[in-house]
Amino acid sequence: MDLQELNERAVSAARRLGADDAVALSANSADSMIRFANNSVSVVNRVEEAELTVYLAKGGKRAIASTSNLEPASVKQFVSELFGSLKGLPKSEYVPLPDRAVRYSPSRLSYDRRLEDVDSELPGLAKEAIDASLEAGGRRAAGVINAGKGTIAIMTSAGTQGIDSRTAITLNIRTFAENEASGHGLSCSSTLSHFDPKEAGRRAGEGARRMKDASEPEAGKYEVLLSPTVASNLIETVAGAASAFSVDAGTSYLAEKVGKKVASPLFSLTDHGVVEGGLGGRVFDDEGVKTRTNKIIDGGVLQGYLHNLTTAKKWKTESTGSAGFVTPHAWNLEVGAGDSSYDEMIAEIKRGIVLTSNWYTRFKNYRTGEFSTVPRDGAYLVENGKVVRSLKGMRAGDDLERLLSSVRLVSKDREWVQWWEVDTPTLCPWLLVDGVTITRAYG
Amino acid sequence: MAREAAKDLAESAISKARTAGASYAEARVMATWERQFALKNGEPQPSYFAQGYGIGIRVIAGGALGFAATNDMKRSAVNEIAAKAVRLAKASSKVLREPVALDSSRPARKKWTAPETKKIENADASWLRGVLIDIEGRIADGRAGVKIPGRILYLGAELEKRFYVNTDGARVEGRLPRVNFFGSLTALEGGQTAQRFVQQGETGGLEVVRRVGLVDIVEREAKVMGKVLKTAAKPPTDTVDVVLSPELSSIAAHESVGHPQEADRVLGREGAQAGESYLKADGLGRRVGSPEANVSDDPTLLHSNGYVPVDDEGVVARKRLLIKEGVINEFLQNRTTAKEFGLRSNGASRSVSFNREPIIRMSNTFVEPGDYTTDELLKEVKHGVLFKTFTEWNIDDKRLNQRYVALEAYLIEHGELKGLVKSPVLEITTPKLWGSVKARSKHMEFEAATCGKGDPMQGAPVWTGGPETLLAGIRLGAR
Repeated sequence: MDLQELNERAVSAARRLGADDAVALSANSADSMIRFANNSVSVVNRVEEAELTVYLAKGGKRAIASTSNLEPASVKQFVSELFGSLKGLPKSEYVPLPDRAVRYSPSRLSYDRRLEDVDSELPGLAKEAIDASLEAGGRRAAGVINAGKGTIAIMTSAGTQGIDSRTAITLNIRTFAENEASGHGLSCSSTLSHFDPKEAGRRAGEGARRMKDASEPEAGKYEVLLSPTVASNLIETVAGAASAFSVDAGTSYLAEKVGKKVASPLFSLTDHGVVEGGLGGRVFDDEGVKTRTNKIIDGGVLQGYLHNLTTAKKWKTESTGSAGFVTPHAWNLEVGAGDSSYDEMIAEIKRGIVLTSNWYTRFKNYRTGEFSTVPRDGAYLVENGKVVRSLKGMRAGDDLERLLSSVRLVSKDREWVQWWEVDTPTLCPWLLVDGVTITRAYG
Repeated sequence: MAREAAKDLAESAISKARTAGASYAEARVMATWERQFALKNGEPQPSYFAQGYGIGIRVIAGGALGFAATNDMKRSAVNEIAAKAVRLAKASSKVLREPVALDSSRPARKKWTAPETKKIENADASWLRGVLIDIEGRIADGRAGVKIPGRILYLGAELEKRFYVNTDGARVEGRLPRVNFFGSLTALEGGQTAQRFVQQGETGGLEVVRRVGLVDIVEREAKVMGKVLKTAAKPPTDTVDVVLSPELSSIAAHESVGHPQEADRVLGREGAQAGESYLKADGLGRRVGSPEANVSDDPTLLHSNGYVPVDDEGVVARKRLLIKEGVINEFLQNRTTAKEFGLRSNGASRSVSFNREPIIRMSNTFVEPGDYTTDELLKEVKHGVLFKTFTEWNIDDKRLNQRYVALEAYLIEHGELKGLVKSPVLEITTPKLWGSVKARSKHMEFEAATCGKGDPMQGAPVWTGGPETLLAGIRLGAR
């Protein structure tokens, strides 16, 4: 199905009906997955989908709708019904779309033709990961490889048009050994050539091997060395707080902090619409505005929020190319690199804990940024610059501003992270943070 | 969904899969419809409408499980994706150690409809907005006794129609309307903030809003935030008795009983994502709680958010007694895990969309009621804390180490509720929690929730439920 033809059909229908503004976003995707557990495949998945999303505005009233029924007659009817629904709506925070037509060419920064049809290779790649994890000391591995391509096209009533595509392949592997020890490994890439299932498997297996004799730590404050996996999970919530929608809605700890210090001078966070190696993003946002690179935090200082046209008007600024019709959001996050090696960071720790993976981050209050998260897989106690034992059965709690303000060292090596606990692709280093609260369960 | 066309496509898909070499095939055609409206601090957001239509096909071929889905509903495309599912399953056998097998559950032949008084299709943007404006009228501009400068109110109406077939002979047709509400309230008082997320949801039509008393519920939550900010004192740090409200009993039942008793987790199938379980395959019959610990999961509760009378493997669902008098009684099973356990599925397999494979899910998980009145139960407490509502919560991936931070919590002295206490923390192991249950009230409440599991993620609507539950001798933390 030609996505631009589909968009043309929808936008033409909207024009004929008299819409002030119309956007058609049509997308198709083909995603393949192989899941395994106990060293054996548990299921293979293949999902092929296409969808049309239409935004209409008339007289300050706005509506959004999506459909998977893309037959020509159905699309016309769909747009007609959507336009009709505007009558019963109140006026909302309407901002006109840009009236200057823009033509976008696809970014080829993150596209690999070899990932267009990789189904037949997935079982072999899964086997490579499993074998590597067992060789490194694991006993049984569970994991998933996701691979796929997605294409999205836009057309607006002002004549803006564009199309962009992405490919990505990710592996999330967890390996288990005796005494419920476990380790974790990831490999995330937009190209097959940079995908490394063996290394991810090796890390998971080694993590499991090292965790066999893990015990609980004493509760208290610790220096904590966050792996890129753990840090990305927390950073994603920082980016969420940087959305102007979150600020308006009372769910951002970054409210009233633009231009103020919100992190250590060593910490910088940037969002890229498109970036070399980025697993997400595109050249245009949902409103047809060109995506760009936005510095969110630079040298510890909050530079601004992520905006779409509506929030930008309210904040008397310009769109940052981050729409979401309703909620501005990040595309590909990048945490700035530091100058420390992993070994140097370990050597700097007096009494601390290395966390390699986590899950279930939940907030007491998004406005204050108070949260806790549950470490899992490899976790190690470090005393006087030496790893002394493995740890399990703990929880880390903090608030985001205190945590980022206490970043003491940042690694020079970074990794792309996207997995079950991190939706927004994030290029992230290791972060050494002072004074994180570690607790244990009663009983 | 054109009914006959959906049936025809589903039949065609399993026939094609068989021809392509599948030893088993199932197809599920789903048509979905939803409308949403939201107010942010009273400002209308763009209305949202979505319609979906697609088919998911699952097969066993070469001993391996394959799933494929498409929303291209041309017969040729459906047949092609069915054949692809078979091809991919066969190709994966190089990493297969144990062939997948199904139990001998009786295939259902049933047409079901969730009860509905006022047709869900009548939920237009105007109706949705009207409900939200009623709520705004109770909580905006300090009308709940506290400033709530951050308010997101969202109301949605949705309809799922599904047609399921499998090569064992199951033929199931279902219709499921649902209304769901989510509210994010951020209150401000004296430079301090409190935050509360309110979720409500039931299957049914427009009558759900009144049946659950939605407007009153949100108003009450808003009022409580003001009281918490103005009056809450430090919680006790010595050993106390803890009374879990229905909301806290609910979340504990879901997180530390329902999840670890999903048989796929027990067998390691969710290891890389939601994790495994502290219970192993030989865990049936193991004591994990006091005789007062009784927890069930029941997909047949009318009006419930997790109403699933027939599951997505064509098995008639039934109530599951998960913990009976403190002993692990039953796991949640689908047809593959049941086969491994030498049992029959108890109908716990669900998929939230045509493009997601069915996996083991909770439905409505709850602590069973006891025989105390709420007052009688409180009278049992000399020195304790009532956890009424919670904000932050989480649990480790074996479901052994959980934490609940209260928003609304009260000191209990000699059987009477005293003042509010601020953010007490119950951070406790699963055996300690369920081993400390001393008594339960007969007052039941259910909460709507969205349970996350699977890869790709599937957010499944569920209820969690319970009575007041008394835990004896607990040490609390504080935020």
